[in-house]
Amino acid sequence: MDTELTEAEARAALDKIEHSRRRVIDEIDMPQWYWNGVALGWVVLGVIADLQISWLTAVATVVFGAVHASVSSRLLGGRHRTDRLSVSTETAGRHTVLIIAIWLMGLAGVTVGLALLAKADGAGHPVTIASVIVALLVLLGGPQLMAALRRRAARSANGQ
Amino acid sequence: MSAAPRFDEIIHPSTRLSIVALLAAADWADFSYVRDQLDLSDSALSKQFATLEEAGYITVERPLTDRRRRVRVRLTREGRTAFDGHVAALRQIVSTATQAAATL
Repeated sequence: MDTELTEAEARAALDKIEHSRRRVIDEIDMPQWYWNGVALGWVVLGVIADLQISWLTAVATVVFGAVHASVSSRLLGGRHRTDRLSVSTETAGRHTVLIIAIWLMGLAGVTVGLALLAKADGAGHPVTIASVIVALLVLLGGPQLMAALRRRAARSANGQ
Repeated sequence: MSAAPRFDEIIHPSTRLSIVALLAAADWADFSYVRDQLDLSDSALSKQFATLEEAGYITVERPLTDRRRRVRVRLTREGRTAFDGHVAALRQIVSTATQAAATL
C-alpha cells in the first residue's frame, strides 16, 4: 500500500464512512400514512366482521389484502420512505420484510384472541373492540418496530 | 467485507468519501438527496460526480418521473469494489498501528 496515511487519519476516514452509512440507515422507515391506512382498514374489517354477513366479511378481507399487498410490495421493507433514495437490501437487512410481515400476522392472531375474549365476556361488538385495540397497536407499534429495525441495521453495519 | 486492501486516491478525499459511502449503502440516490445530506452546492456536487463518473465508479441516470427532470446516481460494480478495497485498506492501517502499539 503506497499511502502515508496515519492511524488517526484512517480512523477519521472510517468514522466518516460510518456517518454516511448511518444517514442512509436513518432513512429506513415506512410512511405514517401506511400505518394510518392499516389501522383504519383493521377497524373497518372489525366492524364488518361484527355485522356477521359472511360474504361481506370475505369480500372485505380480500379487498383489504389486495390493497395492502399492492401498496406494501414497495413499502414493506422500509427501503423507500422517500422517493429520493433506495436503501439497499444489504443495508436494511435481508429479513426486514419478513419481520414486518410476521409482526402483522401476529397482530391478526392477537385480534382473533382479543375478539374471542371479548365475546366470552359478553361484549356486543367483540371484533370491533379487538380491532380498535390492535389498530392502536399498529399506530403506536409500527414506528417503534421500524426504529428497532434501524437499530438492528446499525448494529449489523458495525459488525461488518 | 473481504475485499483486498487497496487505497484509492479518487475515493479518499473527504467529500468523495462521503458520497461513495452514501451510495454504497443505497441502491441509488437522487442528486438532491446527496446534495442535501452533504450540504453541497449543485455545482460542487456535479464536479465530484463528474470525477467519479469519469473513473467509472458511478453511473448517472436521468429518468423522467412525474414530468420532473431528476438525476439518479448509483455505484457501479467497479465503484463498489474500489470502495470495499479502500475501506479494507483503512482498516488495515488502523489494525497495523494497533498491533504495533501493542508490541511496544
